[in-house]
Amino acid sequence: MVDIQFIGLLNATLQAATLLFIAALGELITEKSGILNLGVEGMISIGAVSGFIAAINTGSLFFAIIIGVLSASVFASIHAFVTVVLKQDQTVSGLILTILGLSLSSLIGKKYVGKKLDVKLESVVNIAEPDSILDIFLSQNIIFYLGILLMVATAYVLKRTMFGRRLEAIGEDLKSSDSMGLKIAKTQFIATCVGGAFAGLSGVYLTLSYVPYWTDGMTAGRGWIALALVIFGGWKPYRTAFGALLFGFLEALGPRLQTYGFEMSPYIVKITPYIITILVLILLTIFKNGDTGAPRNIGIPFFRENR
Amino acid sequence: MNNYILSKKLFRNELSTFYSFLIGFIIALFVGSLILLIQDKNPIDVFSLMLKLSVGSINSLSNSLNKAIPLILAGLGISIINSVRLWNIGAEGQIFMGALALNFFYINSSIQNSALYIFLLLTASFIGGSICILIPALTKVLFGVNEIITTLLTNYIVFGLTIYLINGVWKDPASLNFPAAAYVSELVYLPIIVGKLSSGFLICIIFTLLAFYIKDKSVFGYEMRIAGGSELTAIYAGISAKQKAFLAMLIGGGFAGLAGGIELLSQTHRVSTGISQGFGYTAIIVAAITGMRPLGIFLVGCLFGALTIGGSVIQTIGVSSYIAEIIQATTLFGALVAQFFFSYEIKKKVENG
Repeated sequence: MVDIQFIGLLNATLQAATLLFIAALGELITEKSGILNLGVEGMISIGAVSGFIAAINTGSLFFAIIIGVLSASVFASIHAFVTVVLKQDQTVSGLILTILGLSLSSLIGKKYVGKKLDVKLESVVNIAEPDSILDIFLSQNIIFYLGILLMVATAYVLKRTMFGRRLEAIGEDLKSSDSMGLKIAKTQFIATCVGGAFAGLSGVYLTLSYVPYWTDGMTAGRGWIALALVIFGGWKPYRTAFGALLFGFLEALGPRLQTYGFEMSPYIVKITPYIITILVLILLTIFKNGDTGAPRNIGIPFFRENR
Repeated sequence: MNNYILSKKLFRNELSTFYSFLIGFIIALFVGSLILLIQDKNPIDVFSLMLKLSVGSINSLSNSLNKAIPLILAGLGISIINSVRLWNIGAEGQIFMGALALNFFYINSSIQNSALYIFLLLTASFIGGSICILIPALTKVLFGVNEIITTLLTNYIVFGLTIYLINGVWKDPASLNFPAAAYVSELVYLPIIVGKLSSGFLICIIFTLLAFYIKDKSVFGYEMRIAGGSELTAIYAGISAKQKAFLAMLIGGGFAGLAGGIELLSQTHRVSTGISQGFGYTAIIVAAITGMRPLGIFLVGCLFGALTIGGSVIQTIGVSSYIAEIIQATTLFGALVAQFFFSYEIKKKVENG
């Protein structure tokens, strides 16, 4: 028997971590190719609302997940088009992607605010009263396990496959990659859309399981925390997962502080994850002494001078 | 496609940013029309109503210009910080912090009926904005912490702080259901110029010229550009890049803080969550779309202020106000597309042996 409060805390940690991790993993892939996409928040939002609408209208969760993932991916292709094809500023484009994503999802989700889902992502293994750590891990829903699978797959693809090695090469050195004949534009475009798809999956998790309803601004800065996570993880999938667990734990701990005997205003508790994110980011940058493991060409558009 | 190559144009049209903006705006209106058509609304009716209610009379025009004030000031702040090639995504938080600092000073001082007192209040809001960006600025110059993420996260922190204050120590007992701080005295309201136009707009004009001077005419602006351009050049010229970056961030944050102060003294008259409705985010679009030019920010700020007012009034005929935000964001995307054609040209490949 484990303490019931601890069980609740662990469960909430895993859920918060899943949400952050999947989006961060997608951004990691995008950034590895040298494209910085600050639109994570907007892409999660688009995935969340479109998945929710699909779930309400069709009642099929599988279909809802597909729709959420696809729409966020298509949405990310705007960023890919503007930055890869048209070679415009990645910071500007990404920021606008966030603003556009939030307003667009508010617009299309307006009729669905306050609606309740008849279906919800259920645990894969149904355990009525989980009372051990193993039970908690077994009673998560499908997206949690998908997240673990994606983590292993991403680490494998990046390190062990030709596609992954090329992707990393492009992010590190555009000119050499070009002279080796790598298809830079195509790879970066794909990486950006994959990043969008992951953010979409994270958004679907938000509305079909984590919260489960739709309201404006419900992403609440998680896309930005995901961006910080990529830096925290040093652009490595497993370390990013560790960071997601840490941040997930902090998010889960906040509302529970009072039960552990800390007297704190609920309004202050709400902002602790953001304060801690900043603190962690600062400490991390200090201790890494400049070498953060960032892809060298991140944010630089590729342009081959013609001679 | 392989028969064509892309080449960078040697000279870009002086007015290319302006043309790009126009093209972007037309594309955005087109996209907006499509969204309206999907919702079974006649775009021409909606847009003409928006136009009428945002610039059709002295009162509506002054509403639009009042809305432009925070967009312009925050946009100018962003543009100053961008001189050193840094981004300020935290204008939204700085606007709130400006209002909080003003209210803090107001509560802890004896109220006077004088222009000097209002000046001091607004100075407090400027300092509030600077304080808000202090930690991102310090950590940027000392350790190189990514300022995009730190400034963004401060938005959530300051917003949380605002909610904490107006539900706690600052809560006005008279406002029951809507948490807000007590109203400030009418003595410190910013006077009205004409119609409903607040004199904050004059401050806005002064600060536009000031930003233009700082960025384009002053030695400091020149040094900022060098500091942001190349570290080596800065060292060679004896310019402390870190010092310039730090100062630029504090000044830029102060501009956004001032926006919050003016908003409090001219619109809301108290601290509430209504101090800013996403002005800090829209300001990013305003600044980016003009290529960070102060005079451009002023003009586009006025246009976007009108769009925001137009967006809020069309809610009465059942059209979502988000249409205005979507038009604003799409304008920038459209402008980026147009910008491509001004900076690059697609040439047919010449076969040479």
